[in-house]
Amino acid sequence: MTGVTVRRLSSMLRPIALGGLLLALPVAAGWAAKYQKPDPDGLPPHDVKDLHYGDILFYFYQDDYFDSITRLLAAQQLERLPHTEGEAELLLGGLYLSLGEHVEAGKIFEALLAGKASETVRNKAWFYLGKVWYQRGYLEESERALRQVSDKIQPRISAERYMLLAQLKLREGKYDEAIAALQSWHGAPDWTAYAQFNLGVALVRKDRLPEAIAYLDRVGRMETQNEELLSLRDKANLALGFAYLQSKRPAEARPILERVRLEGPFSSMALLGVGWADSALGEFKGALVPWLALRKRNLLDAAVQESYLTVPYAYNQLGAPGQAAEYYSAAIDSFDAEFKRIDESIEEIRGGNLLDRLLKDDKKDTLTWYWQLKSLPDAPESRYLYQLLAMNEFQEGLKNYRELKFMSRNIDDWREDVAAFDNMLDTRQHAYNEEVPRADAVMSATDLDALTRRRVDFESRINAIEKSNDVAALGTPEEQHTWVRIKRIDDFVQMHPDDPDLAEMRDKIRLIKGVMYWRLSESFKARLWNERRSVKELEASLIETQKRAVQVEQARAGVPTNTGAFADRVGATRARMDELQARLAALTDKQAHYLQDLAIEELGRQRQRIETYQVQARFELAAIYDKTANKPAAKPAAAPPPTNTPPAGKPKSKKWWWPW
Amino acid sequence: MKKDVIDLNKDLFVLEEELLFPANTQVAVYVSMDVGTFFALDSVTVKIDNKQVKNYLYTAREADALLKGGVQQIYLGNLKVGKHALVAFFTGKGPVERDYRRGATINFDKGVGAKYLELKISDKVAKHQPEFLIKDWE
Repeated sequence: MTGVTVRRLSSMLRPIALGGLLLALPVAAGWAAKYQKPDPDGLPPHDVKDLHYGDILFYFYQDDYFDSITRLLAAQQLERLPHTEGEAELLLGGLYLSLGEHVEAGKIFEALLAGKASETVRNKAWFYLGKVWYQRGYLEESERALRQVSDKIQPRISAERYMLLAQLKLREGKYDEAIAALQSWHGAPDWTAYAQFNLGVALVRKDRLPEAIAYLDRVGRMETQNEELLSLRDKANLALGFAYLQSKRPAEARPILERVRLEGPFSSMALLGVGWADSALGEFKGALVPWLALRKRNLLDAAVQESYLTVPYAYNQLGAPGQAAEYYSAAIDSFDAEFKRIDESIEEIRGGNLLDRLLKDDKKDTLTWYWQLKSLPDAPESRYLYQLLAMNEFQEGLKNYRELKFMSRNIDDWREDVAAFDNMLDTRQHAYNEEVPRADAVMSATDLDALTRRRVDFESRINAIEKSNDVAALGTPEEQHTWVRIKRIDDFVQMHPDDPDLAEMRDKIRLIKGVMYWRLSESFKARLWNERRSVKELEASLIETQKRAVQVEQARAGVPTNTGAFADRVGATRARMDELQARLAALTDKQAHYLQDLAIEELGRQRQRIETYQVQARFELAAIYDKTANKPAAKPAAAPPPTNTPPAGKPKSKKWWWPW
Repeated sequence: MKKDVIDLNKDLFVLEEELLFPANTQVAVYVSMDVGTFFALDSVTVKIDNKQVKNYLYTAREADALLKGGVQQIYLGNLKVGKHALVAFFTGKGPVERDYRRGATINFDKGVGAKYLELKISDKVAKHQPEFLIKDWE
């Protein structure tokens, strides 16, 4: 069923899915600006609201979802997203979904939708939820979510929403509803082709070919250089051509099928169809041209396998049973050789090396949402696995397997770091043991209280000097010494006021004292200011010393606890690593077996199909031998008249009439 | 199962940060880019207190992630409490594809909490030139 609907390739889907979520977010303005028509006046600069949210987006925009989700959870735990809480939660839900954690994602979206999120965030949440559920094949849930999205969303998202709803209907087989939805769909021009194709296919499935023709023909004629659209054009032509064949209109089918590119992925099917169109018109010679060309191609292709039967069929119709028998015999031999190769490949896969070989060249350091294996390794079994790659089930399983392997490697990487943490904690403890005695010695030799008291005394003394205007107290030691001497002489003179021998000295000392006092007074204010500044500096130093002493005390008391707590955390994580690694190993093994079984099953299907062809070839060969044996006078059979019904003996294939 | 691994990864991530870059000494430097019309980033060099701590060369993918709104943590380290100076040099292609090298500097105080600095590259529309600023997140 999935083949009915054409989905755009991952490269185009991804930015609209997770990336689309972010369009309305403040920090995504740069992104929007880049992809929108440039504003001639320039765009206003945007401010980052939360640095850590930007950091999360930095990894997200590089498709590194594992780093992104890790940083997001860490930022939430450390409460670093005060301004972007809602957006971060929305992104977290999306990231969980991308990793297949539906339950966790569901809880987040439900909480977000039940909360007070803005309409924009709610719309994005519903749309995103619907889109990823659709990708994962949960169609009912997807529709329910998509219908919750209001029309007040960006036109681009609105258009995609309607497209998804229509595709849902196609996948559910509700063609009438799909047609109704697609007929009223108006989206961006590059999406129109997809919508028209899907609508055309839906109409064909409802046997409404006349209406389908217009849509498929329009896509089949579109002018484009884009490889993806060229492929879609081929697909539309193939669909329309086979629809004509199905409606017994081979003449109209032929030119449509001829529009398919010869070098494209659908050319084999187109060649087969052109041959059938000729054959249906009775032009078996003409039919041989595309079928013989097809027969030279790789036998792995189902259309090529069928050509191994259609070529002899055409020869037989042309009355050349000898050549027909030759081609049937060759087909039987080729099919035998193919069985052998398939059986060998099945054995190889059972050997258990398939997945590691598939992922050998894969870039292993990131987890992205829409990861897909795009190429196969050069291995014997690879040639049979192209069908497998087209299966959503296999790709999804392989993505899960890859994620499990990635996570296991991630835990291994942490092991080395955790060992380093242990060493670091040991070193810290060692340094602590060495430092503590030294710190204790310094602390015990330092009497902070006495220092504080001395500072207080010093300040009191300065206050007293200021209050008493004791100018000599702040003089230099020499000045103080001189002042003391002057005072002493002055006191002596004062004690002998009536001694006439001291009259001259009295005058001198008064003069000297006056000069000295004047000098001391002159510099007193500046000296006082300097002393006050010294007091302040002393106070600041003491405060700093006290603070450091407290820190030393705290560190002394805290380091053992802190180191111990860290050691406990390291120990606990190591236990979790062991437990998770064991679970991962078991799950990886289980997943590997599941994928191997899928691959073997697919190879089995291919073997079965070739077996059917081989039985048919043997039967036709026997019929030719029978006919030849019973008709001694062999006369070339006349070619049957053109017929619109598949002739008797025509190779049967479920894909004959309708490639999807 | 995957959620358990993610939770473990997150716990280890937080443990590593708390162990190696405790909040009282942590300094983190981020790079953001707005619009990018006049500048295509090639590399950023960060010097703190005259010592080069980071020289980062950008891949196209990383530069694109910055343009879309991502913010890169270019440096995470430890600094003592006090005054410090950061100088950042930006190289790339300026207007008309010319080689462009500019610097920006900031003096900042490292307190007891974690310090975050943002190196902002934006477009100065009026002058048709890029602009390089450093924002101190208090």
